[in-house]
Amino acid sequence: MTIAAPAIVVDDLHVSRAGSPVLHGVSFEVPAGSVYALLGGNGAGKSTTLLTLLGFLQPSGGSARVLEHNVAADTAAVRQSVAYLPEAATLYPHLSAYENLDYFLDLAGAGVDQGAVDATLDRVALQAEARGRRMETYSKGMRQKVAIALALLRDTPVLLLDEPTSGLDPVAIDEFNALVRSLSDEGRTVLMVTHDVYGACQVADRIGLLRRGRMVGTFDAPEGARIDTETVHSAFTGRSAA
Amino acid sequence: MNAAIRIAREEWRQWRRSRLAVAALTIFGVLLIVTSVLTAGDMLDARQDRLHQQAHAEATFLDQPARHPHRMVHYGHYVFRAPAPLAVFDPGVDAVTGQSVFLEGHRQNGAMFADARAQARAGGFGDLSPAALYHLFLPLLLIAIGHAVILREREARTLGPLLSQGVTGRQLYAGKSLALLAMIGLLSVPALIASLSAIPMGEPVSTALGLYAGQLLYLCVWGALIVLVSAIVRSRGVALGLLLLVWFVTALIIPRIGVTAVGTSLPADGKIVSDMRMKEDIRKAGDGHNAADPAFAQLRANMLAEYGVDTVEELPVNFRGVVASTAEARLTDTLNDYAEQRMARERAQSDGLSAFGWLSPYIAVGAASRALAGTDLATHHRFLREAEGVRFDFVQGLNAVHAEQLAYSDDINRSSDPQAERRTRVDPKNWKVLRDFRFTPDTADVRIARAADSLLALTVWLFALIGLGLWAARRMSP
Repeated sequence: MTIAAPAIVVDDLHVSRAGSPVLHGVSFEVPAGSVYALLGGNGAGKSTTLLTLLGFLQPSGGSARVLEHNVAADTAAVRQSVAYLPEAATLYPHLSAYENLDYFLDLAGAGVDQGAVDATLDRVALQAEARGRRMETYSKGMRQKVAIALALLRDTPVLLLDEPTSGLDPVAIDEFNALVRSLSDEGRTVLMVTHDVYGACQVADRIGLLRRGRMVGTFDAPEGARIDTETVHSAFTGRSAA
Repeated sequence: MNAAIRIAREEWRQWRRSRLAVAALTIFGVLLIVTSVLTAGDMLDARQDRLHQQAHAEATFLDQPARHPHRMVHYGHYVFRAPAPLAVFDPGVDAVTGQSVFLEGHRQNGAMFADARAQARAGGFGDLSPAALYHLFLPLLLIAIGHAVILREREARTLGPLLSQGVTGRQLYAGKSLALLAMIGLLSVPALIASLSAIPMGEPVSTALGLYAGQLLYLCVWGALIVLVSAIVRSRGVALGLLLLVWFVTALIIPRIGVTAVGTSLPADGKIVSDMRMKEDIRKAGDGHNAADPAFAQLRANMLAEYGVDTVEELPVNFRGVVASTAEARLTDTLNDYAEQRMARERAQSDGLSAFGWLSPYIAVGAASRALAGTDLATHHRFLREAEGVRFDFVQGLNAVHAEQLAYSDDINRSSDPQAERRTRVDPKNWKVLRDFRFTPDTADVRIARAADSLLALTVWLFALIGLGLWAARRMSP
């Protein structure tokens, strides 16, 4: 893999929530056009890292930059260049997929025509007959597809995904992983946080292992191959050092 | 399109598609329309009825046959307080203070025919007016509709995607506030219609619009509070509970604490104690029916000296009429002193309660609403003063007739001499001493000035909540 200039740089990041320190000097870089999986168990600080990158949490120490923008000082510019997919994104159940996309894209100031919307919904494989139905009738996988379509339609260079495959069935996970790889192929940078070792190894160019707010290991995919699942699993469960 | 407006539009779409919101709005809308129509009908009927009764009472007085003028003093007369045009929205104290006064010589009667007393006797409750609905129940509807206005985004995990689209916390807060403000605007349309409908009945535009603006201000205070709580609280149950607690405390608890506090700190004498003290003072003024009462000895001496005669029979005026007039003047001074003391105490109590508006917007809007509608205690006091003015003028007018048109000898012998009795009956044209009475509310300037403190309290509440909202909006995160 060719290492490009980093799109995301996290340097000695310290973050506290409700007065308790959550991140203790986390550092990592995400090369532009790559897929980075931040792997960790519950309470490791994965979502806190994403929320800090979006400017929702202020660092108490260190720094984080997205496309050269300091997340603490230049939040608006960061959010303009980032699409965020939260964990278990439901969007608005009383609206259809079309209405949800229209609303969010309007707020984002992204002028997107109906053709582009349909093309993107085709790409995420959301059935055409479902697109005008209220999302309260959707399965979790279908809702996730709409949320991903929203992230794609924003056409941002960076995507931040929080547990994107949580609760999806294996077929949907495979479809999602393929989609993430295709985004990387298009030159987009993807940072996803997950506790799914197998999924992370399937899709990521690099994996950072986070434990109790500290980065405890990094795994890079060999040229032309995927990261070894067994090695990462061992490190994740603590049975051997990374 | 502006992000805040887009967010507000989306909130409205959510409400339109929510069965709970539509059901709550429908029920409240029906209740509001029915209450408005019934109250307006009642007040218009009452206005018509009282104006008719007033004209009838005047005609009846003037139609009385030739009589001794003092009999007409005791025959008496009624005055009625016609409801102000804006009473169709806020009847105010009308239901509890009485609406008519029987005027007669030597007495100041209280107002009679208070609807609330009649209803209490029947075991019922007071009427539900549009003002009561707006002040007491509309906040509950706003809480039901709006308590999750921002919380829903947090709970549905749409807050993160929203904010990550580049929408700022302030834009989101403004959008949600705008949605609730539009809902308040819609819900206050009946209040606007009620206010405007009073204008053709003679209500000044400034007070009509002022009354509407007062309701709008009060509802905006609630709207600002609801959005604030929805922004800073993380659980729907806690938000709902907190807002209901605020409603319970400000609309039910503080008003009762206020009434108890002013009643304790500014106690009023009971009627029996007050009447006993007043009667004692009145006795000192002398009995106007008895020209020989020692209380009028000085008057007799002064008049004999003034006219240079030795006996009251030689006076060119009827001494008994002069005594009646003097006694009435002295008695009225005493009665007025007591009435003014009582009204000053009631006004102090009312002002004291209104001061609790700084703690409870419910009290503030009630005070402002009654003042602007011309249905407050101050207006009732003015009615009592004007009624007393009518009473004093017609009684003294008849006493003047008594003094000037009746011979003293006829007057003292009328019980034993039928001829004398006939001569003490004066022509009915003398009954025209009674002047017409049509009670009208204070001018717009006076009413607005009386409502100013309460409106200021509501404004301070609103700005404080907006300030807290700006602070909360800056800190907004998923």
